[in-house]
Amino acid sequence: MSTDVLMIEGVTRRFGAVVANNQVSLRVRAGEVVGLLGHNGAGKTTLVSQVVGLLRPDAGAIRVGDVDAVADPAGARRRVALQAQAQAPINGLTPRTAIELAGRIRGLSPRRARAAAEELAAELDILPWFDQKALPEGGGLSGGVRRLTSFAMTVVAPTPLVVLDEPTNDIDASRRRRLWDAVRRIGDEGAGVLLVTHNVVEAERVVDELVVLDRGTVVAAGSPAALRGSHDTDLRLELQLHPDGADPSDPLDAVPVPVTRRVRTGRRVLLTVPSAQAAAAVAWATDLREQGRLDGYSLTPATLEDAYLAVTTSESADEAEPSDAPATEEASRA
Amino acid sequence: MPETTIAERPAERAAAFVPPRVGLWSSYRTLLRWQIGQTGSDLPMIVVIQALLAAGVVVGFGFLIPDISPASALFLSTGTPTVLLMVVGLTIVPQGVVRARTDGTFTYLRSLPVARPLLLLADLTVWLLVALPSIAVAVIVAQLRYDLALSFDWPLLVAASLLVTVTATAVGYAIAVSFSPMMAQVLSQVLVFFVMLFSPITFPASQLPGWFQAVHDVLPIRPAADLLRAGLVSDVYSASLRDLLVLVAWCAVGLVLSTRALVRRA
Repeated sequence: MSTDVLMIEGVTRRFGAVVANNQVSLRVRAGEVVGLLGHNGAGKTTLVSQVVGLLRPDAGAIRVGDVDAVADPAGARRRVALQAQAQAPINGLTPRTAIELAGRIRGLSPRRARAAAEELAAELDILPWFDQKALPEGGGLSGGVRRLTSFAMTVVAPTPLVVLDEPTNDIDASRRRRLWDAVRRIGDEGAGVLLVTHNVVEAERVVDELVVLDRGTVVAAGSPAALRGSHDTDLRLELQLHPDGADPSDPLDAVPVPVTRRVRTGRRVLLTVPSAQAAAAVAWATDLREQGRLDGYSLTPATLEDAYLAVTTSESADEAEPSDAPATEEASRA
Repeated sequence: MPETTIAERPAERAAAFVPPRVGLWSSYRTLLRWQIGQTGSDLPMIVVIQALLAAGVVVGFGFLIPDISPASALFLSTGTPTVLLMVVGLTIVPQGVVRARTDGTFTYLRSLPVARPLLLLADLTVWLLVALPSIAVAVIVAQLRYDLALSFDWPLLVAASLLVTVTATAVGYAIAVSFSPMMAQVLSQVLVFFVMLFSPITFPASQLPGWFQAVHDVLPIRPAADLLRAGLVSDVYSASLRDLLVLVAWCAVGLVLSTRALVRRA
């Protein structure tokens, strides 16, 4: 028996001349949290809309659990719960009622829905607002409490697949942590979670697998460790250039340490270097700064964000294979 | 208690797990609670607007006619419920639906595991509850202003009230989902004027030029007014089968277009 709760194969979707999804493939296994990363307009929401049957793909296959989501969208919707990017429509309702109703829609008994709503409210720490009505035009409840309520409405009843589209928008730091813990719990209980976000740093903490989408195409996929580079011990040397200053790492031969990846975004140049070369890298950067060729520099452990920026800012992005071979890519879309 | 616990392979359990199918009636009731919760707070406001509008039509239009005869007063008063139902259906409903389309409510509800026509049914039910008091409000206001000799034909009145309300709501809903949000807003505003000033609801159709009467023969507005009037004063006015058929046709078109917009995948 396959444990895939979501299988997307070669999905293509166009809007007129714009290719929003180009041959996208990804899978979510039961018990796994998969992050779908991408800039604004990368095609993340379009992809999700096809999973829940709001849009029909031009080509490709989507399976949710044991059903073909393209042929049987109603069957797919029973197996997937979506927290959309827009706030859930709860004006006039209290979080308690909204979460209970969402549970009832998915077939929970009244008693079970009530109990599940209370458990989630405690888990997400929204009990103080639990019986307060949401009012039109954003009154009554803050954006963060509304977002947490939406999240609770999505996960109140068990489904094989949970899709969360930017679930932490507007949420304060401590409740954000509670939400991530809840996401992890849902995965551990056996559901597959597809987490759509542009927040790389947060996603890194909860996901098992990552898929990076750039302009409609999957440009990288793998575990966070694999995406970060072959060496978890790599360091990131960040150079801050002068507004009109030349890039001292261009050409790469000018750098006295081996560079496994180079990304330039605006006035920032990110160089990935082996940790053994830390001293040499710092000496070089200090020297540059003393010569007045840099505004500043910093040396930190390499993060997933570096890898993410590398695959999404590169012009020849579709060829980048950051999971195994760290590319010495030139990226110059500054 | 064992010292180590081995997870009982939750992964395979979840992949095989299929959430239950929820019955139509149960889904409908839940959706209805959801919609009533959402619209409930607006309800008193809408009833106040209806009362003001009724007073405006009954009293205000009366000023346009010097020395109003009992017959004219009766015609004016018995047209008022139709004006209110049409305004609710063709103006307030599209504005509510356009808001739901633009703020994501529409998309949210469509992503839920419910048969999508039920979304329309629940919406229609709520709008029916909102619109139906119009008839009572209009009759009460008219009764206060003029001494009317009403003679209800209850079966006809009830049937006509339901049909006219559902038709107006379904057509308004169809407008809201068939045009761009901006266009739907504009159209719903224009329709208020068309209903109040250019439709033979509060004045006899015979005052219109022939070609315009012919237009109103196929639009739902005059047939709706005449049907309701026949239900309110059955000994003076009578209903025609043609009017009924025109209304039913508009109702069907509105329902089909609305359902299609909810069901189809772009």
